[in-house]
Amino acid sequence: MNAFDFAAPTTVEDAVKLLGVPDAEALSGGTDLLGRLKDYASSPKRVVYLKDVKALAGISGDATDGLTIGAGTRLADVLADKAVKESYPALWQATLEVGTPQIRNMATVGGNLLQRPRCWYYRAGNGLLAVKDGKSLVREGDNRYHAIFETDGDALFVNPSSLAVPLIALGAKAVVAGPRGERTIAVEDLYQIPKSGKDSELTLAPGEVVTKLVLPPAKGLNASYEARQKQAHDWPIVLASVNLNLDDHKVASSRIVVYGVAPIPWRSKAAEEALAGKLLNPESAAAAAAASIAAAKPLSMNAYKVGLTQTVVKRALMVAMGNRYWEG
Amino acid sequence: MDLTWPEKPTLIGTKVPRLDGLAKASGRAKYPSDQLPEGTLFAVMLYSPHAHAKIKTLDVKPAQGMPGVKGVVAIAKEGATLRYQGDDVAAVAAVTEEQARDAARAIKVEYEVLPHVVTEPQAMAPGAPEIVKGGNVRKGRSQDKGKADEELAKADVVVEGKYALPVITHVCLEPHGLTAKWEAADKLTVWSSTQAVQVVAGELAEAFQIPVANVTVLTDYMGGGFGSKFGADVWGRTAAELAKSTGKPVKLFLDRIQEHLAAGNRPSATGTLKLGASKDGKLVGLIAETHGTGGSRGGSNFPLPYVYDVPASSRSHSDVFVNGGGARAMRAPGHPQGCALMEAAMDDLAEKLGIDPVQLRLMNLPPNDPRTPIYEAEVKIGAELIGWTANRKPRGKNGDGPIRKGYGVALHQWGGGGTRDKKVSCTITADGTVELKSATQDLGTGIRTVLAIIAAEVLGLKPTDVVSNIGNSTFPPGQASGGSTTTASMAPPCLDAATKARDALFAKIAPALGATPADLSLKGGRLLIEGKPSISWKDACRKLGTASISEMGATPEGLASTGVGGCQFAEVVVDVETGVVRVKKIVAVQDSGLIIDRLTWDSQVYGGGIMGLNYGLFEERIMDPTTGVMLNPDMELYKLAGATDVPEIVLHAYEPDDQKARGVIGIGEPPTIGTAAAIGNAVSNAIGVRVPEWPMSPRNVLNALAAASKDQEGKA
Amino acid sequence: MRKHDPKNGEEPGGASRRDFLRGSGLAAASAVLTGAATTALDEARAADDGPKVLSGEVEITLKVNGEDRKTTVEPRSTLLDTLRNRLDVTGPKRVCDRASCGACTAIVDGDPVYSCTTLAVTCQGKTIETVESFDVGEQGVPHAFHQNDGLMCGYCTPGFVTACKALLDKNPNPTLDEVRRGLDGNICRCGTYIGVLQAALDAAKAMKGA
Ligand SMILES: Cc1cc2nc3c(=O)[nH]c(=O)nc-3n(C[C@H](O)[C@H](O)[C@H](O)COP(=O)(O)OP(=O)(O)OC[C@H]3O[C@@H](n4cnc5c(N)ncnc54)[C@H](O)[C@@H]3O)c2cc1C
Ligand code: FES
Ligand code: FES
Repeated sequence: MNAFDFAAPTTVEDAVKLLGVPDAEALSGGTDLLGRLKDYASSPKRVVYLKDVKALAGISGDATDGLTIGAGTRLADVLADKAVKESYPALWQATLEVGTPQIRNMATVGGNLLQRPRCWYYRAGNGLLAVKDGKSLVREGDNRYHAIFETDGDALFVNPSSLAVPLIALGAKAVVAGPRGERTIAVEDLYQIPKSGKDSELTLAPGEVVTKLVLPPAKGLNASYEARQKQAHDWPIVLASVNLNLDDHKVASSRIVVYGVAPIPWRSKAAEEALAGKLLNPESAAAAAAASIAAAKPLSMNAYKVGLTQTVVKRALMVAMGNRYWEG
Repeated sequence: MDLTWPEKPTLIGTKVPRLDGLAKASGRAKYPSDQLPEGTLFAVMLYSPHAHAKIKTLDVKPAQGMPGVKGVVAIAKEGATLRYQGDDVAAVAAVTEEQARDAARAIKVEYEVLPHVVTEPQAMAPGAPEIVKGGNVRKGRSQDKGKADEELAKADVVVEGKYALPVITHVCLEPHGLTAKWEAADKLTVWSSTQAVQVVAGELAEAFQIPVANVTVLTDYMGGGFGSKFGADVWGRTAAELAKSTGKPVKLFLDRIQEHLAAGNRPSATGTLKLGASKDGKLVGLIAETHGTGGSRGGSNFPLPYVYDVPASSRSHSDVFVNGGGARAMRAPGHPQGCALMEAAMDDLAEKLGIDPVQLRLMNLPPNDPRTPIYEAEVKIGAELIGWTANRKPRGKNGDGPIRKGYGVALHQWGGGGTRDKKVSCTITADGTVELKSATQDLGTGIRTVLAIIAAEVLGLKPTDVVSNIGNSTFPPGQASGGSTTTASMAPPCLDAATKARDALFAKIAPALGATPADLSLKGGRLLIEGKPSISWKDACRKLGTASISEMGATPEGLASTGVGGCQFAEVVVDVETGVVRVKKIVAVQDSGLIIDRLTWDSQVYGGGIMGLNYGLFEERIMDPTTGVMLNPDMELYKLAGATDVPEIVLHAYEPDDQKARGVIGIGEPPTIGTAAAIGNAVSNAIGVRVPEWPMSPRNVLNALAAASKDQEGKA
Repeated sequence: MRKHDPKNGEEPGGASRRDFLRGSGLAAASAVLTGAATTALDEARAADDGPKVLSGEVEITLKVNGEDRKTTVEPRSTLLDTLRNRLDVTGPKRVCDRASCGACTAIVDGDPVYSCTTLAVTCQGKTIETVESFDVGEQGVPHAFHQNDGLMCGYCTPGFVTACKALLDKNPNPTLDEVRRGLDGNICRCGTYIGVLQAALDAAKAMKGA
């Protein structure tokens, strides 16, 4: 880890100001940033600690009016929130499975959304896209944990945020404070697929901080399901969150979002379309799951993820229906 | 009279908590990496970022000028070839560790990057760059017994399978390294995280050309070795060198990355096995072609055939050299690999023969072997404990739901005997102190406590009344802790020392008590005197006056033995839609002669099973063919079980009287051998398809299922 | 070489946090910043506009196991390296150094966290508890680990004991499943989990007896 300057503002305004210099990076729980600094994958000159900004933390509102979650809220506090547990199970379940008890005591919602990819080529110092001498290290190398969608380009990493997936499915918005004031964007708009090595996968401008997440009122059904190798503190291989609005048992609208398959949290429009207007049942879930992988183009070592994605999408839908058929 | 183990022990074989357990559990135990003598400098290694490179120029000057830096050494020379990522280049000592890290990065090295091979396929490909003279593949002489090809041609049933296990690394939680302090120009003290204090002392004495008596290596505690911590290593010598040049104590422990890269690993194993049997399940022959990589060092061979009686076999093994850190012994070197390959083939054969896998194994134990009846008894116990007959269904007949249950079994063998030249001293002083000394060390196996139990048994005391001093190279010669040899080497001289000390004490104090030594005995912390009231141990010792007793124990005949076996069973559930495997239960049945501390014995067997579970489900060193680096040098994508991954483990110590009569045998290694094999077999039983590659990850399981269904389609 | 002088520029009043930052912004005379390159101008501006920017070496006070401990760190120094290298508090161990193994677990303001992935400068004013402060008597967690042999080499043990203590403080009546989940942030290579799980259940009982 290279040396850096450090500041701990107590207001959003000061934080924005302090971040408004080149090479400054925010520090929240540190569970992503500090590892990256130790690996020299990032070396900011200034680190601005956000956890003393009290205004960033806390949860307010309820399921009827919608929920506001401060970006500085720790994952442990998200889990402890009754409204989240009861009305936004997609978020609760995905949060429960992030990391470890210690990580959930440290990590914050904002940090989780804005953590950088865990792609091992990126973390080893090969740059975000890991293209070397015109060749993609990922494409030619070990890509077992990489993307299966949008794989024609050079961005082959997967977005690492477990929370982005349910938040996007739930239609959450992010409130962003920056040098030019405040703006509100959809959580999915925090992400982009970088076109070149100069782009980031995040859309925030320098100096911007996410201050809170606003969840619309909880209607319909929402759920998450993830598959992972280890039970203890492992990353998901694939995670899906679904949010379904039903009208007379038929799916009026839905959002189906998948982790682990693309450089952005992957909104499966194909699955959503397959479900539209259908009665919600195991058959329509299976059909939507099948549709979700139609556009998959796996890399050399991750074809296994295609079938896995189909299963995980199906199971997220089944959980929403209250049918955990695999638990017997 | 020959010295024997007590016939009716009160302590031996019971569950005795460790003497140092509370120190460890309360954070008070000071490990070598916790030592911080006054003025300690922190040292950091610079290691090769490349898999294969020549050092064109190496300039340490920029580091010397950095803040806080007190010493810099170049380990590699200009012109030297670095053979793997993580190979040692230089080291820096500075006032703070942060400063040392900065300075190490400031060292200027110009590398000429050379072509590399880091995986076996890469090393074995036609036209691959040769990284060792004579080629990357060194084929050993084929070991033949009988005419295996002829026997297989005649066999009723033959199976052919290809199985593979990856390279794994030791991941000792305490990194390799030491803290070094020069007491005088020719007198060195080091706190080393090692399995062999005396080996480290010898190596450092040699490196600095000082008498070994002037080197004190201290290892009161150490955070895991598993076979990888027998020497001072480059970094240890470097720390001592930096301590010398700076005149300050220097602490140097590897970071986790270099720990994975350079501090040892278990070689991979890949094999094509052709195993044949008669219709009724008698093995007739095995032809096995195997290879593995021990990195830049070779040494990847493993025992095969394993356990079973194979009348005719032909075995050839090739060492594949890659640009990776050298292999080191790792908990039962070679056996987990040999066991997994053999047991997979046995199961596949049982499947084809339509014979119960347990039966097939029992049928093929070596005739006239003393181990055979033991295995038979153990397998019977194990089968019962896992519910084999009641629960197990034939392969692939585990329903058609997403979750399939399966059962697997594996047998293993190990030596575990000791050496006969080690010593323990036992000193009794007038204040009642009993002190044992020996230059062995406790890796967590519990030898410190085992020695105290033995002395306490002889002296009628509690184990906590005995001071068990080990982990000091200047003590009487002790066993290096490897090969499960520590207890078998150290228990006999300990019994001898304590017995001699007791006898010397009796001889000395009997006259003052108006008794003869034959009238005296020790029990429950008291000295019993024939025909007189007993006195306390302390009062008895007080009779020594200014004298003390000090006896050196050697190794009498008949107190230790070698050669153990055992079996393990696994129950798994596999989710065939996600490929996720969960181990539900492990049964471990193990013999190991006379057990001294049943509590630490249990821990070894539990721990062996859990290490085997990691090998079976999670671990693999992942190398990148393109850049030549390890992609998961961490504890995150290098996966290790946590609490929720650990299943119910049922263990059974097989110790009828004839086992106890064999004396002490080591237990560190055997219980880890068969677990991965049993898990692999349980998975194939569950899903009806052999998963040929370990670990049993979702990827490997789903790939095996996909390949099988493609096969089916092809046939249809 | 850069120094921070509290007399430079205005101090924002109010929060005690700032007071700390302000007070500890005094760089030691030897402060040399190798990585930072913000210009003196930037810094002056920041100092004018808001909270102090720390760099170089910083003197801080940490409340460790009930005792105020003064030491000098850099902003990048982790809590773990500060405890071990500077304060000789070596219960927490450095194993992965990447928030993956739990050996460095310390309890900060009541919550178990990874001290390897926490900056020391962010811990001033907080309560830091390490394994050394726990009750070693029969009601304590260390005792239960000892009796159940929930340790072999023992290098992971302080982390497990700490995670366990934190778990029981919040949930004195855990089920086996809750114990497993509560200890999921810790890894043991020797494989002591069976003893560890029993130790946690026993410690829960013993603590109630207290
Ligand atoms: C062993 C292990 C397992 C893990 N498993 C999972 C998993 O399963 N799923 C998962 O999602 N994650 C997982 N993680 C990652 C972990 O969840 C994230 O690191 C964490 O959520 C990040 O939050 P933080 O507050 O610690 O972020 P920090 O590390 O403090 O910050 C992360 C990034 O976000 C930026 N940032 C933080 N807050 C803001 C803000 N308010 N505005 C603007 N920028 C901000 C920072 O500048 C930084 O770039 C795992 C981590 C480890 C070590
Ligand atoms: S050392 Fe901190 S989690 Fe491993
Ligand atoms: S006891 Fe050795 S790592 Fe846990």
